[in-house]
Amino acid sequence: MKRFLIFFLVFTLLLSGCTQKQAQDFGPADGDTLVIYTSHKKEVWWPIVKEFESRTGLWVQVVEGGTNELLETIRSGKADPIPDLMFGGGVESLEANASLFSPYICAQADRLLPQYRSGEDLWTPFSALPLVLIYNPKLLSPDSLTGWSDLLKPSLHGRIAFADPAVSGSSYTALVTLLEALGGDHDTVLREFARNLDGKQLPSSGDVLSAVASGECSVGVTLEETASRRIAAGEQLAMVYPADGTSCVSDGCAILVGARHPENAKKFVDFTVSRDVQQLLQDQFCRRPVRDGLEPSASLPDLAAIAQVDYNLRWASEHRDSLLMSWAFYLGSEEEE
Amino acid sequence: MKQLHFRSFRQQLNAAFLAVSLIPLLLCSVLLVQIFRLRMVSDAQQTAQQQLTAALDALDSVHTGFQSVVDTLDSDRLVTQALFDEQAEDTKVYEQLFQATEALRGFAAFHLYDISGNWRYSTQSAPESKVLSTHWGILYGAAQVPGTVVYSAPEDPAALSAPLLHAAALLTDPYGAPMGYLTMELRSSQLGALLGGLAGAQNQLLLLDAHWRPVYCTQSAQVLTLAETLRNQLLSGKALTGTSDNFVYTVARDAATGLTLVLQQPQVFTQGTLRLFYSVSTLCALGCVVLSIVLGLQLSRQVFEPIGRLHRAIRQVEKNDLEVQVPIPEGNENELTDLARQFNHMVTTLAANQQTLLENQKALNEAQIRMLQAQLNPHFLCNTLDTMKWISKINQVPQVALMSTNLADILRACISPAEFVPLRQELLILERYIEIQKIRLSDSFSYEADVPEDLKDCMVPKMLLQPLAENAILHGLSGVEAGQLLVTARADAESLLEIRVCDNGRGLPPELLGPYRPPEKQTGHLGLFNVDTILRKHYGECFGLRLENREDGPGACVVARLPIEKGES
Repeated sequence: MKRFLIFFLVFTLLLSGCTQKQAQDFGPADGDTLVIYTSHKKEVWWPIVKEFESRTGLWVQVVEGGTNELLETIRSGKADPIPDLMFGGGVESLEANASLFSPYICAQADRLLPQYRSGEDLWTPFSALPLVLIYNPKLLSPDSLTGWSDLLKPSLHGRIAFADPAVSGSSYTALVTLLEALGGDHDTVLREFARNLDGKQLPSSGDVLSAVASGECSVGVTLEETASRRIAAGEQLAMVYPADGTSCVSDGCAILVGARHPENAKKFVDFTVSRDVQQLLQDQFCRRPVRDGLEPSASLPDLAAIAQVDYNLRWASEHRDSLLMSWAFYLGSEEEE
Repeated sequence: MKQLHFRSFRQQLNAAFLAVSLIPLLLCSVLLVQIFRLRMVSDAQQTAQQQLTAALDALDSVHTGFQSVVDTLDSDRLVTQALFDEQAEDTKVYEQLFQATEALRGFAAFHLYDISGNWRYSTQSAPESKVLSTHWGILYGAAQVPGTVVYSAPEDPAALSAPLLHAAALLTDPYGAPMGYLTMELRSSQLGALLGGLAGAQNQLLLLDAHWRPVYCTQSAQVLTLAETLRNQLLSGKALTGTSDNFVYTVARDAATGLTLVLQQPQVFTQGTLRLFYSVSTLCALGCVVLSIVLGLQLSRQVFEPIGRLHRAIRQVEKNDLEVQVPIPEGNENELTDLARQFNHMVTTLAANQQTLLENQKALNEAQIRMLQAQLNPHFLCNTLDTMKWISKINQVPQVALMSTNLADILRACISPAEFVPLRQELLILERYIEIQKIRLSDSFSYEADVPEDLKDCMVPKMLLQPLAENAILHGLSGVEAGQLLVTARADAESLLEIRVCDNGRGLPPELLGPYRPPEKQTGHLGLFNVDTILRKHYGECFGLRLENREDGPGACVVARLPIEKGES
C-alpha cells in the first residue's frame, strides 16, 4: 500500500512537472546586471539607463520611488531586489544616510566642479539644482516678486504654494535657503513664513507648479529645472531667481554597501558624470551640469550671474529634525515625517 | 503505515467498497487531467513556436531589406556627394533612395542624416527633430559598429503617434570614411501590418529590444506594464508568468536584429477549466461514495441479518431458552442458511437431551421415594425387640432375651447417623454379634479380643469388624470343632492401625494371600468387598484389607489397615 502510494505520487509529480522551462536562456548572466533605486522621474532616468545598457551591454533593473521612501526601504534591509546604486535624491538626504553608502571616486573626478563634490566621496554629484520662485503672470506683476523677503509680505498671505519640507527634499532646501537669505533669528523667520502660508502646505513638490499654474496660488517655490521644463511646455508660469540669493544644491548618485554588482555600479556612476550625459542634462532636462568644460546652455542663465547664499550642507542635514519640528509647530500642524 | 482498525466487519466491508471504487476513479481523474493538460500545453507550445517563427521571419525580412538598402547606398557616389558635399541634385538622390527602399517603403520610413546628425532626405515626411545627436542614442550606437544595423526601442511604446522601432546604420564613402546615417522608423500601424496577423486572435505578440525594453505590442494598452513585469521576472530569475496567471509566454530571440519576441497565449488550462475538472471529479467521487455506501449497506444487510438472527438466538440459548429456532428464509440456500439449520438442529438435540436428563432424574427421585416408603421404621424394630426381650424374660427364655437385646443393640448401632465410631464401640457391637452367633452355633467357638487401651479411642468406620468376624465364622471356622476367633489391634509405625481378625481354621489357599482382591464373580457375600472398598475410598489406595495365614498355627487372618485417627474423647 505504501509503495503504491509513493508510486502514485511520483507519477503525478512527473506528469505535473513536465511543463515550465524556457525563459532563463534569454536573460543576462548574473554578473551582467545592475539594480538601481532611483527617485528620478522616468523621463530623466530612462534615456540614461537605456544608453548605458546599449553602450555596456549590462541589464539595468530600475526601481522607482521617493527619495526618503527608497532610503527607508534600503535601511530596513528588506529591499527586493537588492539595490546596487541609489540614483537621485538631494545630497542632503544622501549625506543623512551616509552609513548606507560605500565611498567611490569616479573616473574623471577632477573634471567635476569642486563645490558639488562630496567630502568623503560617499556620493557622486549628478546635477546642480538651483531654487527659484515662480508666479502666475496673470495674478501677479513681475515687480512684486523679487526675492525670498517677498514671501513674508502680507499681500501674499495664503497665496504661496510650498511643499511639505518633511516630504520634499527640495522644499526643505528651500526652507534652509530662505533662512540663510533672510538672516536674523531663525525662529522668527520660520514663524512669519509659516504664518504667511496660512497653515497651507502641499503634499509634494510636483503640486507646487500645478497649484500656481492653475491659479490656486499666486507664487511658489520650486527647482529651476522643474520650472524651466514646465515653462518650456507652455504653462502659464514665470520664473524669478531670488535677488537675495538662492542655493544650488546638487542631487547625486551613491553606491550602496552590500551591492551585489559593485563594478557595474561604478561603471554607471562614471557614466552619469560623463560628458555625454552631462551635456544631455543641460540640453534636454534644464539641469545644471556638475562638470566643467561643457558648451554653455542656450536656455539657462549663467550660474555665476545669479546671487547665491552660502548654503551649509552639513548644518542643513544635521539640523533637519529640529528644524522640521519647529516648522511643524509654527505651522500649527501636528504632522511630522 | 499504521494499519487501520475497524470496529466491525461491516465497517471493513464499507471501507473496502469505498477504496475499490474511489482509488481507481481518482487515479483516472488525475491521469486524465494531467494527460489532457500535457497534450493541450504541447499543442499550444507548437502553435506558439509556429507563430513565433513566422514573426521572426517577418522581422528578418525587414532586417535583410534594410541591410540591402544600406548595402545599396553605402559607398554610393551620388549619396556620398549629397551628404558630404551637398553638390548632388536632390531629385536624383531621392530617386536613388526610393529605388533602394522600394521593397520596404510600405512598412517603414527612411531618413538620411549627414555625418553631423543633420536630417537631409526622407522617404516620407521629415522627422520631428531635424538634428539627431551623434554622441547619444541610435546614431552613436550605429557609429560604433560601422556596417551593422542597430535597433532601438522608444521611450514610450504606448505613444502610437511616434515611431516605435528605430534602426540606424552608418554609411561610408567609397574610401571607407563615414559620411552619414541611414535610419528606418516603423510606426505602430506598420508593425501591426508586419506582425499583427501572425499571432492569432487570442494571442498577443510583444516586441522587445535586446534588453527587453518594450517596442510594440499587438495590444498596445498593456505594453508597458506587461513588458516591465516580464523583464523583472526575467532579471530576478523567475518564471515568466506576466501580470496574471491566465497566460503563458513563449520567447524567441531574433539573432540578426537582437530583438526579442514574446508570444502571450491564454493559459490552455485555466483555473476555471481545472476547477470544472475537479468539480466533475468530485461529483463522480461523491456518486461513488454514495453508491458504495448503498451497496455496502445492502450486502452487509444480506450477510448480517442472518448473522444477527443467529446472534440473538445464541443469546436466547444462553438464557436457557431452548425453544428458540432461527427462521430460515425460503429459496435462499447459502452457507449462512446451513449454519442456521445446524444451529437449529443443535438446539433441538440439546433440548431433547435436557428432557431425557430431567426424566431420568424424576424416575430416580420417584424410586428413592418408593424405597423410603418401603423401609420399616427401625425404631419400631428396636422397640419390638425390646418387647421380645421382656416377654422372653417373663417366660423364662433367657436366650431369646439375650438375642433380642443384642440384636436391638446391633440394630441401633446400624441406624445411628455417625459414620465413624470409636474402636471401643465397634468391639462392643462385635461382642453382641458374637453372642448371637454363639447361641446360633451352640458355642462351637471361642472369642477373644486383644486391643490395647490406647487404641480403643481410634475412630474407625462403623460396622468395620462385624463383616470380618462374620467372614471368619462362616468360612474360617466351618467344620472346626474348637474354633477360636481372635481380634487384635496394634499401631504400626505410629500412624498405621492394624486390626487383625484371626481364626484357627484351615487357612487360606496361597493364591488368595496378600492384599485383598475382589472376586471376579460377585457372589452373595459382599462383606470383605464392602469393608475393603470403604477403607480404600475413605483413606486412599494404600489402605484396605490384607489376607494372611497365621504364623503361630493353622488359621487365617484378615488384616484391616487404616490410619490412626483419635476421636474427641
